[in-house]
Amino acid sequence: MKKVGEVVLLWLLILFIHNAAGEGYSPPGKPTNISCRSPEKETFTCWWKPGSDGGLPTTYALYYRKEGSQRVFECPDYKTAGKNSCFFSKNVTFVWVNYNITVVATNSRGRAFSDPVDIDVVYIVKPNPPEEVVVNVTEDKDWPFLQVSWKPPKMADTRSGWITLFYEVRLKLENKNKWEVVSAGQRKTLQIYSLRSGGTYEVQVRCKPDHGFWSEWSPSSRVKVPEYFPQERSMWILIVVFAAFILIIFIRMVYMNFHSVKRYLLPPVPGPKIKGIDKQFLKSGKSEDIFSSLVVSDFPPTTSNYEDFLVQYLEVYVPEERELIMNEGKDLQDDSFKTENSTCDNDSGRGSCDSHTLLTDKGGGDKEDGQQSDQEGSQAEADTKSQEEALEEELLACSHENLQSSNVSNEKEKVKSWPSLFSPLPQYSFSPVNRPNPPKTGKQHCLSDSLFTPNSMPSYFTQPGPSTTKGFRSNYWECSFDHKQSHPLHPQSAAHEHLQAQNDLNTAHVDYMGAPLDVHVLNVRPSEYVEVQRVSVEDGVLLHPVSPSQEDSRTLSHQTEDYSRVRVVNNDNGLLLLQRDAIEEEKSMCPYQEDVVSRASITPTLQNSATGINIALPILDEMAASGYIDTAIMFGLPTH
Amino acid sequence: ALCSRLSSMRAASSCTNGQTGCHFLSLANLFDRVIQHSARMHGISNDLHSEFELYFLPSKNQIGRVSRNCHTSTILTPNGKENAQRIAREELTEVILKLLVAWREPLWHFHQNMAQHREFNNFSSNKSLEMSEMVHELRRGVQKVVEKMQMLGVINSSLGNLGSPEALLASDRAEWRLMNDYDLLYCFRRDSNKIQNYLKILKCRIIPEHGC
Repeated sequence: MKKVGEVVLLWLLILFIHNAAGEGYSPPGKPTNISCRSPEKETFTCWWKPGSDGGLPTTYALYYRKEGSQRVFECPDYKTAGKNSCFFSKNVTFVWVNYNITVVATNSRGRAFSDPVDIDVVYIVKPNPPEEVVVNVTEDKDWPFLQVSWKPPKMADTRSGWITLFYEVRLKLENKNKWEVVSAGQRKTLQIYSLRSGGTYEVQVRCKPDHGFWSEWSPSSRVKVPEYFPQERSMWILIVVFAAFILIIFIRMVYMNFHSVKRYLLPPVPGPKIKGIDKQFLKSGKSEDIFSSLVVSDFPPTTSNYEDFLVQYLEVYVPEERELIMNEGKDLQDDSFKTENSTCDNDSGRGSCDSHTLLTDKGGGDKEDGQQSDQEGSQAEADTKSQEEALEEELLACSHENLQSSNVSNEKEKVKSWPSLFSPLPQYSFSPVNRPNPPKTGKQHCLSDSLFTPNSMPSYFTQPGPSTTKGFRSNYWECSFDHKQSHPLHPQSAAHEHLQAQNDLNTAHVDYMGAPLDVHVLNVRPSEYVEVQRVSVEDGVLLHPVSPSQEDSRTLSHQTEDYSRVRVVNNDNGLLLLQRDAIEEEKSMCPYQEDVVSRASITPTLQNSATGINIALPILDEMAASGYIDTAIMFGLPTH
Repeated sequence: ALCSRLSSMRAASSCTNGQTGCHFLSLANLFDRVIQHSARMHGISNDLHSEFELYFLPSKNQIGRVSRNCHTSTILTPNGKENAQRIAREELTEVILKLLVAWREPLWHFHQNMAQHREFNNFSSNKSLEMSEMVHELRRGVQKVVEKMQMLGVINSSLGNLGSPEALLASDRAEWRLMNDYDLLYCFRRDSNKIQNYLKILKCRIIPEHGC
């Protein structure tokens, strides 16, 4: 029995012991994470984290020591701050004092000491959140903003300067997650702008002492921003319109400047502009046409302007006109130079021929030509004038005058006068030496001269001595016109040539024109032409009447072959006139009509029987045959 | 900061007689400047202490870390708000001055030591120098404030010993030499905080309407 009792007692004892020691009955664990905080720097609270309790009820105790003292104090208040906390009231709180705090966990099994912690109240201050946070939406000039205001936590004494707090405000839209933080310093109010119209905002505030921890955020204060769409919208509209306006202006400026810039960068190439030249024509036309277009243009004035020129010519009589003529002729000369060699063709206008000579006079041409042109011009001018004034007088005078200077000059003058005076005429018509034509005659005369070859020309212009010529002159029309010109009558040959080259009309003209006007080639009107062949130095110029058949006593110009020499033979028979060849004789329409007979000795061989007739007879006969007899003149030859 | 304080001093003196508002305003400005200066000084000391703790003392919160008391512990300083508010202005002012005087020399020596140590970087060396200079300037500024207050009659002129604060610490002259550098930093960090706080309290007690 006793054994059973001992076994049961032992069994119970084993169970009891097992129960006591088996289920975590151990000393408590060490408390950890001791943290202390002071809300106003006047009190503070410490919290710890208990360790394992070891299965046994464990008690915790907080002990602290202040610096400079070894006395250990225990926490006065474990309850105020909750579980596992210790609250230090103002009585036991000393600022700027170092606390050494230790938490001890005790249970039946043992004790556990936490690690000590040194704290100073000054550096563990964590205030309460600001209180009385008020958020207002203020309407200021249609731009609402938030007005936030708050109060420091009650516990913190900032009025005495014991604590200095710094504040922060944060806000966010209700449906968003991002906070916007704004620092407010030590102020207790804040304005927030740039709000979204119609949005709802949450505003929170917190604070921090100068050396401490931030407080918790205050509870959110919600506020709704009223909608101010119109202003914003209208502003954007205004901005867009303004920007569009500026853009338009900019584009326009670029566009306007584009042309100027383009013009500046790529300046338009000036096209060739030659007066009278058509660019298109040049591009498309044939070579001939092109050349003709280049050549003709307005120079020399060929067609209908000659009469005008004639008129002009006649009017101007002074040497000044010569210059004009020369000027005019210059261009003509240029053209004539190009187109004609020094020869004057039928095709070419007189003007060109004349211009040729004029050219030479002007520019670097032959000096002779130049001289001729000068003289001719002058003479031409003179001729024109004279023609206008009075033909008859001129006719008379011409015999006296004109014979002078050099051939060249005459030519020149004539040449000069030609172009301006005459327009090329295909035919020459006999025209009596009428007043109306005097200007023309003058021109004609000149032209005719020009037509002659240079060789002929000089000969043509060789002039007999004034005396002789004069004598001859009187019989001839040519003198009247050319009175200033010393055109020798010799140009008879030339005249012939002219006549031959031209039609008969030319010859008529020659005779017609008292002045030694050349029979102009085509250009001259028949009526105007008077081919006057002046008497060369020795010989007289015979004017051939119309009919070439007539033979007149001719004075020979040494230059012309056709002219027969006239020998004045004073014999009973009268003048001995060498037979002359068929010469184109200029007819002079002069009433006086001293023909060749007057000048040249009339050969007795003339058709008219001279026998029995006095000297004059054959002459007269001849002259009668020619239709022009002027005994007086005939006999008056020597007087001239 | 000293120049600004001096200029403010001149500005304060420019107030004509009889205008208490002007004078108090100038006194408030003086206080603000001094307080700002002390705040800056405390910030520097805090930075230095943190650096020192980081490099030289890996173990923190050691019991008995402060082997010795601060040499300024002999100076009775209010360690609570009630005590600070209860103390007279003159005493409070005197405490401030005592503290400032007590730390001038130790900080200078501290700076000299830090300059020699290679471990300290230039940044810390500059801070220690600035800190020692600021203590000196702050003391002069506070003296100006005291003179202003005495002129205004805010505080009575019973503080005769303010002229020679060095006499107060004659007995404590050599104690600071026994402290190591870390303790110096620790103690000065706390004392600069005291100075700043005391100045604020003093200002809000004398001129409560300006930013208190």
